[in-house]
Amino acid sequence: MTGYLIRRAGQSVAVVIGVMILTFILLHLEPGSVARSVLGLKATPARVAIFDSLYGLNKPLYQQFAIYVKQLFQGNLGISYQLQQPVSTLIAQRLPRDAILLGLSTLLALVIGVPTGIYQAVRHNRLADDLLAGTWFTLYSAPDFMEALLLIALVCVQFHILPPAFPGGVTSVTGLFADWQALVLPVAVLAINSVAGFSQYVRSTALQVLAEDYIRVARSKGMSERLVLTRHVLRNSLLPVITILGLSLPDIVAGAVIVESIFNFPGMGLLFWQSALAHDFPVMLGGTLIIGVATVVGNLAADVAYSALDPRIRYGSA
Amino acid sequence: MRIRHSLATTVTALAVATAVAACGGTTAKVGGGSTVKGQPERGGTVTVAEPSGASPNDIFPLPAATNTNGYNVNLTLGEWPFLVYVGDGAKSVVNPQESLYSSMTWSDNDSVITIVLKPWKWSDGVPITARDFTFVYNLLKANYNDWDDYDPGLFPADVTKVTTPNVHTVVIDLKRSYNPAFYTDDVLTEVPLLPQHAWDKTSLTGTVGNYDETTKGADAVWNFLQKQGSNIGTFTTNPMWSVVDGPWKLAQFQSSGYYVWVPNKNYSGPDKPILSKAIFTPFTTDAAEMDTLRSGTSLTIGLLPLNDIAQIGALKAEGYAVASVPTPGVAEIVPNLYNPVNGPLLRQLYIRQVLEYLIDRGQITSDAFHGYADPGNGPVPVTYGQQWASPLEKAGGPYPYAPAKAEALLKAHGWNVTPNGTDTCQQPGTGAANCGAGVAAGQKLQFQLLYASGSAYFDQMNAAIQTSEAQAGVHITLKAEPFNTLVATTATCNAASHSGSVCNWQLQQFGYQPYSVDPNGSGIFNTNAVNNYGGYSSPQMDQLINETEYGSSPSAFFAYENYAAEQLPWLWLPNPSGVIVYKNNLAGVVPSSPFDFVLNPEVWYYVKPAS
Repeated sequence: MTGYLIRRAGQSVAVVIGVMILTFILLHLEPGSVARSVLGLKATPARVAIFDSLYGLNKPLYQQFAIYVKQLFQGNLGISYQLQQPVSTLIAQRLPRDAILLGLSTLLALVIGVPTGIYQAVRHNRLADDLLAGTWFTLYSAPDFMEALLLIALVCVQFHILPPAFPGGVTSVTGLFADWQALVLPVAVLAINSVAGFSQYVRSTALQVLAEDYIRVARSKGMSERLVLTRHVLRNSLLPVITILGLSLPDIVAGAVIVESIFNFPGMGLLFWQSALAHDFPVMLGGTLIIGVATVVGNLAADVAYSALDPRIRYGSA
Repeated sequence: MRIRHSLATTVTALAVATAVAACGGTTAKVGGGSTVKGQPERGGTVTVAEPSGASPNDIFPLPAATNTNGYNVNLTLGEWPFLVYVGDGAKSVVNPQESLYSSMTWSDNDSVITIVLKPWKWSDGVPITARDFTFVYNLLKANYNDWDDYDPGLFPADVTKVTTPNVHTVVIDLKRSYNPAFYTDDVLTEVPLLPQHAWDKTSLTGTVGNYDETTKGADAVWNFLQKQGSNIGTFTTNPMWSVVDGPWKLAQFQSSGYYVWVPNKNYSGPDKPILSKAIFTPFTTDAAEMDTLRSGTSLTIGLLPLNDIAQIGALKAEGYAVASVPTPGVAEIVPNLYNPVNGPLLRQLYIRQVLEYLIDRGQITSDAFHGYADPGNGPVPVTYGQQWASPLEKAGGPYPYAPAKAEALLKAHGWNVTPNGTDTCQQPGTGAANCGAGVAAGQKLQFQLLYASGSAYFDQMNAAIQTSEAQAGVHITLKAEPFNTLVATTATCNAASHSGSVCNWQLQQFGYQPYSVDPNGSGIFNTNAVNNYGGYSSPQMDQLINETEYGSSPSAFFAYENYAAEQLPWLWLPNPSGVIVYKNNLAGVVPSSPFDFVLNPEVWYYVKPAS
């Protein structure tokens, strides 16, 4: 296992470096002048020269990359052209809040999706299964912006039960919980789309598990149905969920741009979106790097969790 | 004219009062709002919605050239107002009562300004003196190329010396004579006073000195203040920023753009804040702001996107009043006179006239902007600054919508006109009945119009232009791109410099060009001006602009304005106004000039409902 982890870690580093190089090159292939984009209509040749000199954009590309890599080793992701703040600060401000938002929504989706998936498997091809599957797929197929706008129209505008947006002053994690009412709708909207995935994966796996010999043996030995479901079916049905969770780690880092926009939640998604529009290379590079790291870490964590949940899975042996 | 980058680009301002009947087939809605009645209340908090992207990132009031964030001035203006204050009710005029000077005298053929400062004080009790002006002057003199608000050739480059005959008097010797109105309106309205006694240092722990009096020292102070000013984590903790002369002090600031003003208890000016707090809160999108307004709870005042005009009734039901204020600028389509393909076409005045005749500005105003727009009759908006609008512009401008005239002009210049098709040049040549220099036989009358994406009403406006131009066979293709992409891939093109891929654009529409108080064409339409994106050049235009800037003839402005309106260096468009909604128990929001809307909560107050 240790050897496997070391090999995977090595591969992960190579992947991240590859992503970094590719992103750097692609961004600099983008047409147009960064300085003009950032300075806008006031981009006189003199100002463009000052800007390019300030950010090293007048140097050859390989030198710019070397400087970027050197800064990375010093823990410096650069300064945002547009926001004039260190990229690491921008990410550090937004990432924890997105982790809370997306973490809570994932948790809520798990809490709803896993038990209903098991329930659907137990009641498969009956009315309850059909109704739940229909409900989840209907919600899954509805775009999240539509769900968000409908909920806002109903809950916030019509009945004034919850606020429709985060107060602009909420920037800390503790601030999020202080304004917990504003969290309800975005968490709900994000969860709605995940529940279908979790429940249907769990349902599908649980159906297979329920047909396994060891389930029949457990039942024939008189184990209660509750114990069969919780000890055997649930545990073995969680394997696909682990995969989904591992793969969702980069999503948490990348944010949820639509929900962030609608609910006035300045998170990672909006940061990347706005930096892409503004040709803000340092933010885009920093963001891509963090997402790349989250992707390889998420995959690695899923592999490790697989092995912990299913003793039959062993890595590292031929 | 000077570009009032700050306020104009940031605030879509509003005014009430002036209802303007725009000629040319439409009526522009301006004004509105409610008369708030009741007993004034002291204290209270207002929460102001800031638009998407409104995140100030620098508190030093003299921003660096590489930081063009127009929202920084919104943050700083309440703390360090400009020497000359603009806005008097709904009027876009200098307001001497609110300004920092008590008198301003021009002498020596209008080349020397003597400014006497009011005996006001900084928030720490230290008197505001002429030394505070020389501090600003010294910093800028040494660093004006790195100052965002610097306009080539103007302050401080045009100053030969500044003297201070006494503690409250500043004498500025200029290199040449100016039109005092122009200089006061457009130059001195962008110069704040800064507390020399607190800021003239080169490190946080260093002592205050007279470092600014040498170029090297001024450089060091400038660099120090720039660095401190961009450190957003210390906006409210750095003691330097607590020394202010405006009505407000910054109490909270967050990197999201959220900030809170509280009254400067030692403010010397006439309008001491009545409210106890003003909160500025940013929104990620117009929709998020609209939802919050519709929920009727947390926002006191916000801008209503024109796409949501239909929501006015619902907002009034939630306890809001609605008003509009003109935008201080001119909306335009810029023709690239040096485009490799269509430059020769666009250099023909009659072609620009054809294009303008075919823009149905009345329809755009009523349909795309729901009546909330300046009609765009020429280079000067008629809905604000009535004193600047010439009779020609007030009468609808030289080119009201007239497809028949457009068609006749084309035929008179040798074009085969094909309505709803594409016209072609049949009579090339330079004669009066020919297509014009550089236009070949068979050349098609077709253009690509680039514009900034993301605004439904601009989509609608440009689609309307495309359709109306087609009536006379002018074929327009539309291409919308994000604003940053547009400015990154295009550049100013003129006779001297128009090569490369950045001059392939033909027509572009960026929104509007912000104006200062005095909306003359300096910096925009004179040859090689900074904002002369399409390369228009005319000795007569240069002379007329110079006369508005340097001369003293009262007729000079209208002469410039009418000439520019007729020559069409840009194609004139309606310019949407700002529509605000505010709680109907909040007084003082209106009347408001385009230059101080939302930036002057010191005149706002709540009223108790009349019993």
